[in-house]
Amino acid sequence: MKKVVDVSLPIGPVHPCFKEPARIKCETVGEKVLSAEVELGYVKKGIEKIMVGRPWQEVMFLAERICGICSVIHNMVFIETVERISDIEVPIRAQYLRVIVNELDRMQSHLLANYSYCYTIEHETLAMYLINLRETVIDQLELITGARITCAYIIPGGVRFDLRDEDAATLSAALDKCEKDIRRYVKIFEEGPLIALRSKEVGIITKEEVIASQAAGPTARASGIEFDNRLNHPTYQKLDFKPIVLHSCDNYARIMLRFLELFQSIELIRECLKRLEGLKGEPIRGGGEVGEGEFTWTGEAPRGGLTYHVKTNRYGHVAEISVQTPSIMNMDACAHYMLKGADSAADITAVFISSDPCISCNER
Amino acid sequence: MSIIQSIKNRVRQRSIHVCYVNVGSCNGCDIEILACLAPRYDIEQYGIYVHNNPREADILLITGAYTEQWEDKLRHLWDLIPEPKAAITIGNCPISGCAYNRRGARIDPPVSKHIPVAANIPGCPPRPTEIINTILELAPVVFKDYEIKKEAAEKERKAKEAKR
Repeated sequence: MKKVVDVSLPIGPVHPCFKEPARIKCETVGEKVLSAEVELGYVKKGIEKIMVGRPWQEVMFLAERICGICSVIHNMVFIETVERISDIEVPIRAQYLRVIVNELDRMQSHLLANYSYCYTIEHETLAMYLINLRETVIDQLELITGARITCAYIIPGGVRFDLRDEDAATLSAALDKCEKDIRRYVKIFEEGPLIALRSKEVGIITKEEVIASQAAGPTARASGIEFDNRLNHPTYQKLDFKPIVLHSCDNYARIMLRFLELFQSIELIRECLKRLEGLKGEPIRGGGEVGEGEFTWTGEAPRGGLTYHVKTNRYGHVAEISVQTPSIMNMDACAHYMLKGADSAADITAVFISSDPCISCNER
Repeated sequence: MSIIQSIKNRVRQRSIHVCYVNVGSCNGCDIEILACLAPRYDIEQYGIYVHNNPREADILLITGAYTEQWEDKLRHLWDLIPEPKAAITIGNCPISGCAYNRRGARIDPPVSKHIPVAANIPGCPPRPTEIINTILELAPVVFKDYEIKKEAAEKERKAKEAKR
């Protein structure tokens, strides 16, 4: 057999650019990548297996610990599934509080993703600005929910704590600061010649390829697919949510889309705060009992659609559960379409990070 | 104490190179390590540098509950790190397995069973300040007079052998 491949280049599992262990195996000629493969399985713990047979009170905390970056959405989707199984009504004030916490979590996740990308392409100034801004967002999350990462804020029939007036004032002040800062950072990102050189026309995935690989979330929306699971969510429908779509399909579009979604999140939180003003003193927790049933529900995680399929028995124990997370599709799309034809080895990590892989989510 | 030893003591405590490895956590602890890099906590003002390269590391930060796949790999990683070295585990998972330690989970905590661990930071996840504090408290204990301590230990071992 004739050998066409020069070097088979493995990257990882412990690599300066990766937050989590994964291995990319690339077949290269010179520095040009012919094909790539992502090898996973380093953090497989079997969470779904240990969830089975436990009461929802325990599964709630396990669901949150599937992923540390997007813990709020895992909590939210699991609880919403349980609510739909047992017809539990949520007070309207609690619905808006859920949106606030979810959007704050999305903001910190997007800021972290953009930080990782800027750090990977060695633009450390912007990276440090972004990770510092993330601390401001995390502070607000801590103020409302009581914890930085694993907050367990959402429970069946409502939320755990109310938003006090002084906290609402602090939150809106922090949002103003965030908006001002992000505008500045977006300008740096748009005008930086180094960033354009490293990001534009790199890691291209077309609309047809996105449909073929079923990529989700910002990766799909940056390639012109107008879909967001928040469109199906009743509270977001009340808020007139419209997804943002970009059409340039490259690394630049994916990072830019996350920046634009930050502005969108800020607007959503402001709208919620405005509506909460008129709902002062209303309850934040309704009653309800978790009963028997089966349901599948999808929510929009920072990385794409997150699906929970839950079956409970009449005591409120989880009999069957299956979780589908978005990163596996994004990573597959990255390996099969984006990395193919990458011009240099330095682009491999940049392209991989631009799709915002979350390996703990994938393997669970 | 020789002059060179005093220089070594001084220098080592001001340049601590850190490598972090995720052996099966939910990456909540990993992003708390990343948060230490933020200008708010500013880990580099204490002389701690996050490189994530085991060959130039002094301290290995371990997060996660030790999944099966790391059985040979973590030991190998530990052997790559040059002396003097220390391992710190972050979060509840490396200590007890935290929420995952149930029947049927594919984990094998604690991590101290597999490699020698110098310090544990409990919490789910611990705050960035706690991580920085632990590294700074541990560094003098491990790195101060390392050569002298090593010689003394060697002498003691030889004396024991001679007695036998």
